[in-house]
Amino acid sequence: MAGTFRWLEDVALADAAFEARGQTLSEVFQASGQAVIDALANPRTVQQSWRRTVDREAPDPGTLLFDWLSDLVFFKDAESVVYHSVSAEVGEQPGGAGWRLRSTITGAPIDSTTQELRADIKGVTKHLFDLRHDQTGWTTTVVLDL
Amino acid sequence: MNLQTTMKVERISDEVWEIPTTEKPGMLVPARLYATERILQSMDRGVFDQLTNVACLPGIRRYALCMPDGHWGYGFPIGGVAAFDAQEGVISPGGVGYDINCGMRLIRTNLTFQAVQPKLEPLITELFRKVPAGVGSRGFVRLTRAEFRDVMRQGAGWCIARGYGWHQDLERIEEWGCLAGADPDQITDHAIERGIHQLGTLGSGNHYLEIQVVSNDGVFDRATAAAFGITGQDQIVVMVHCGSRGFGHQVASDYLKVFEKAMRRYNITVKDQQLACAPFRSPEGQDYFAAMNCAANSAFANRQVITHQIREAFASVFGQSAEELGMEIVYDVAHNIAKVERYAEGELVIHRKGSTRAFGPGRPELPALYRATGQPVICGGSMETGSYLLVGTEQAMQETFGSTMHGSGRTMSRTQAKRSVRGEQLQREMKQRGIIVKAVSMSGLAEEAGFAYKNISDVVETVDRAGITKKVAELRPIGNIKG
Repeated sequence: MAGTFRWLEDVALADAAFEARGQTLSEVFQASGQAVIDALANPRTVQQSWRRTVDREAPDPGTLLFDWLSDLVFFKDAESVVYHSVSAEVGEQPGGAGWRLRSTITGAPIDSTTQELRADIKGVTKHLFDLRHDQTGWTTTVVLDL
Repeated sequence: MNLQTTMKVERISDEVWEIPTTEKPGMLVPARLYATERILQSMDRGVFDQLTNVACLPGIRRYALCMPDGHWGYGFPIGGVAAFDAQEGVISPGGVGYDINCGMRLIRTNLTFQAVQPKLEPLITELFRKVPAGVGSRGFVRLTRAEFRDVMRQGAGWCIARGYGWHQDLERIEEWGCLAGADPDQITDHAIERGIHQLGTLGSGNHYLEIQVVSNDGVFDRATAAAFGITGQDQIVVMVHCGSRGFGHQVASDYLKVFEKAMRRYNITVKDQQLACAPFRSPEGQDYFAAMNCAANSAFANRQVITHQIREAFASVFGQSAEELGMEIVYDVAHNIAKVERYAEGELVIHRKGSTRAFGPGRPELPALYRATGQPVICGGSMETGSYLLVGTEQAMQETFGSTMHGSGRTMSRTQAKRSVRGEQLQREMKQRGIIVKAVSMSGLAEEAGFAYKNISDVVETVDRAGITKKVAELRPIGNIKG
């Protein structure tokens, strides 16, 4: 089963906040990435002429998620792209050496004539940022600065 | 009075309210809010919580202040002003905001509404073509890394030297368009890569370029308006609202991480992670200040290149040069910034986050042309309701560290606004009311509908009655470009 996300109202009036859920860490990462992608542009209007693989490590899953979502914002500005799809595989490193992410992101150069562009995310914030685990799986809350 | 806080809020005057230090453990100074009773009641809970958190930061002097357009922000509230002792106090990226030197610029013209109205649609189309806006947009100025470092050091002056503006523009920009102490060595490669292509771009969200009219009955103070180049008589002016784009945001994000570690080293605890700070005189504090000044200078340069493009667009549509059209800058003000300024307490690091400098008459920091009047203060409202030109006062110098409001402030979430109206519908309705809007994103347009914002006139009346700025002119929108 894939992860899901929903936009949260009244959390950040001037910006955007979402909650993502998944049974596994990979699912909640993927759902979070999907939220960022959807906020930037309608992914159905974006081709897949640009591809990037991201490998990241961090001491904990929350830091890994924050840094990876920030990567999506970074590529948008540095390479002037919006996204079609994202995949994420997350696992714990052997011997308690932290957490690792392997992700593939696809998209295309920004083109307002063919793509339905939405909001320009300036950054991922630490306001209310949370990644938690319970019996139903993983849940994260993320506020994006627009 | 029904407030969204359980803290005691005492009336100082009809427009000033105070939360005493007894209301939260750790408060070093009282918190003061500028608001009418009605505005105070509409302020969200975050304002009270966050302002009293700011009042706990080391080295804060006199008051933690909030302007009437205040609302919840990251760490500091939007509309917040805080002054920290330059020797013993801190500097905090959360007190500046992510969009470093987000600000407003106002450009006057000799044109009247009657002359512009028949050509309004082609004018908006030409401006939309020349000023890139929206997600990840790139500007026409191609920079090498070395040139981008020069932009960081020189700000608007870099643009003037390359023909993107007039020499006399500089005195009409806060700090002459260049903050001293910018050091590109304190900028990460990440920030450079995000910002190097963005010079001359608007961005999105609440950033915009707007064509406005100043009618005769919209001028409140004729003498000061005349000193600012505002004649009324259906005069056309152009307002620009934008900042340092992804570059400034990356600088803020980079240093929040640095400061989280620095706080442990300096044994500083804060009530909210996004109030991360460091002693101003520490290496980390000085590095952030130098990096912040780089981002601030890039924002001055950004608005300068946009000004150049606006002048070109007007010249092209009206067949006259920008000089013939009288397109002088009225002023350019920052409303997300930290600056060292001198007050009765000595040298202070003034943080203005969603607050505008409002220096009164006689200040040596002001150019000669505004030293007798006080500085112009530019406050942007929603794209449907209008904006204001104000003037700084001596009272602001005495009460608010020379600071005032910056805009109107949202009252409705972006999601709720989009549910209430579609962008295409809003665009049609605004056209029927004589406001032509072009936007890269129709959903983004819906998010910025006028009903999602406070009434700016109420906010302006508050600062006018409080005396920390005075009304000069009301600016009514007729054309708007958004990301």
